[in-house]
Amino acid sequence: MELLKLQNLKMYYGTLRGDVRAVDDISFTMEKKDTVGLAGESGCGKTSAMLAILRLQPPNAKVSGEILFQGKNLLKMSDSEFRKNIRWKKISTIFQGAMNALHPTLRVGDQITEAILAHESRSKQEATEIAGKLFDLVGIGSERLDRYSHELSGGMKQRTMIAMSLACNPELIIADEPTTALDVIIEAQVLKVMKELQEKLGLSMIVISHDLSMIAETCNKAAIMYAGKIVEFGGIVKVFTEPLHPYTQKLIAAFPSILGSMRELASISGFPPDLLSPPPACRFHPRCPYAMNICRKEEPRYIEADQNRYVACHLVSR
Amino acid sequence: MGFREYLAKRIIVSFLVIFLVATLNFLIFIVYPADPTRYLLDPQLARTPGLVDVIRDQYGLNEPLHVKYVKYLGNMFSFGILPPHFGYSFQTHDFVANEMAWRMPLTILLLGLALVGNVIIGIPLGIFAASRRGTKTDVAVIGAGLFTYGVPTFFVQLLMILFFISFVYQTYGIKIFPAGGWISYPNPEGLINVMGDILWHMALPALTLVVAGFAGWALYTRNMLVDALTQDYVATARAKGLSERTILFKHAFKSIHPQVATLLTLSLPGLVTGAIITETIFGLEGVGKWYLSSLDRSNPDFPVVQAVLFVVATLVVVCNLVADLLYGVLDPRIRVGQRR
Repeated sequence: MELLKLQNLKMYYGTLRGDVRAVDDISFTMEKKDTVGLAGESGCGKTSAMLAILRLQPPNAKVSGEILFQGKNLLKMSDSEFRKNIRWKKISTIFQGAMNALHPTLRVGDQITEAILAHESRSKQEATEIAGKLFDLVGIGSERLDRYSHELSGGMKQRTMIAMSLACNPELIIADEPTTALDVIIEAQVLKVMKELQEKLGLSMIVISHDLSMIAETCNKAAIMYAGKIVEFGGIVKVFTEPLHPYTQKLIAAFPSILGSMRELASISGFPPDLLSPPPACRFHPRCPYAMNICRKEEPRYIEADQNRYVACHLVSR
Repeated sequence: MGFREYLAKRIIVSFLVIFLVATLNFLIFIVYPADPTRYLLDPQLARTPGLVDVIRDQYGLNEPLHVKYVKYLGNMFSFGILPPHFGYSFQTHDFVANEMAWRMPLTILLLGLALVGNVIIGIPLGIFAASRRGTKTDVAVIGAGLFTYGVPTFFVQLLMILFFISFVYQTYGIKIFPAGGWISYPNPEGLINVMGDILWHMALPALTLVVAGFAGWALYTRNMLVDALTQDYVATARAKGLSERTILFKHAFKSIHPQVATLLTLSLPGLVTGAIITETIFGLEGVGKWYLSSLDRSNPDFPVVQAVLFVVATLVVVCNLVADLLYGVLDPRIRVGQRR
């Protein structure tokens, strides 16, 4: 059975100027032990999609569609049921720990144990032992449990976030830009920790990032988002080696490769669209080199082009 | 820099500030064109040769400036405990320290009641409003906060006197609060009755200060808390599946503890200046009313003014110091010289 299935998920932010269509009709399915990379440029709706799954959207957001988690629709659950049975226990998150995601005046150990105590009937001492083991697991060392977040380096904060996300043995972990504010060396260390944990614990994850190389390294499936829509979804190797959607092709071409011959990096002309009034029909057509008449008139359907390979483009569906 | 050096440095700086204030206090009454002999003596007697000088000698006014200054400083920095106890009041010819000693408890009682009332009503109300931000409750608290912030305290006090005294008491004969003063005449018998009577007299003035002040406290708390609630770590707390109650108190409110403590500490000196008007309006014989009555333009009772200013300035400086130290206690990020 699928672990998570998004079906026609939409999230619109109501503003005075109209609805901002941050997430507009996205669907994908992930199995247990899958790691799905959600990639796209800033403002394409990656984080909004995550907030919708966690039900952390701001009050002006309108969410519709279906989020089926282990067969249950998360959007139909009551607040208290969702809070008690899903949050952190089943679905946890890795926020950008290097930023502001840890409480400034609570000890990091207490921040982990409170998550355990909120969901499991354990003693404070047991919870502290678990937190210590998690700290050892991510390579910080349990002796740092009584530190405050400002006493940790950026990499340690991010590892703390990872340790915290594992506190209740969740079924799914959503990592939102887990390495964004870190320098490359620390980023490599954090990625190593994440990969080791994936292998050791068999985690299922959604990794949100604009960094394609990081997604290539950690994920086995990729979803490429553009202007609130998933334009392409499939196995990581297929998506990266044989991209079907022009946007995916452009995005990959815009990324430098350490191996292979040197080449000038391609850029994508134009600007990301305003999600208040996105372009009609295919949202990528103003920037697409292959745009045809139909692209300006009709929205491409999101179809299964190959086995487990989805794309929304007239070039393919024709 | 270790904590001890930091504390020592802060105490030295605080002492210097108090010293400067004391010096300014001294200079003001050197340049001020008031001679206490003018109102200490009958104008007829003032013509008697030598008498003015006798009086001036008695009050130490004929001494050279530097001697006066040194004596003055010694007088101030002994905080009225050692003779000459802040000097003699020109109005009563008693030691200023003695006069202050029996007025101070009344002022402290009034301000203490007002502060406690403001805090135990204002802060929970602010938390309540922040937890319902964007709703009508929230808007009502913001409105009330801005309104009472804008309306002068004395106006609220006059309105409340009008209501409770002129209306409820004089029209309907229901005496909820006494009309003024700080104790009934004749004085009640027994210590407990006296204390109860004084508290009864303090109730209306303190209530007016709470009515005029609590919404401001609520507004401050609400704004700081709403800001805290938008922080990333609150989103983390929510994602962890903690209850809204835990998020509000353990995560959001805990993170504003330093600011609340600072606000509380720094509000103490402000309350003292507020006491001047309140005590005058309600006829309470506290430090504020005493200070105002000593500020007569033609014959200021300057030993009193100097002593009160000195004590208030010391209070301001000490409160600042305490606020800084409290901040360090409540916020681990700015703890100085902490080693592990």
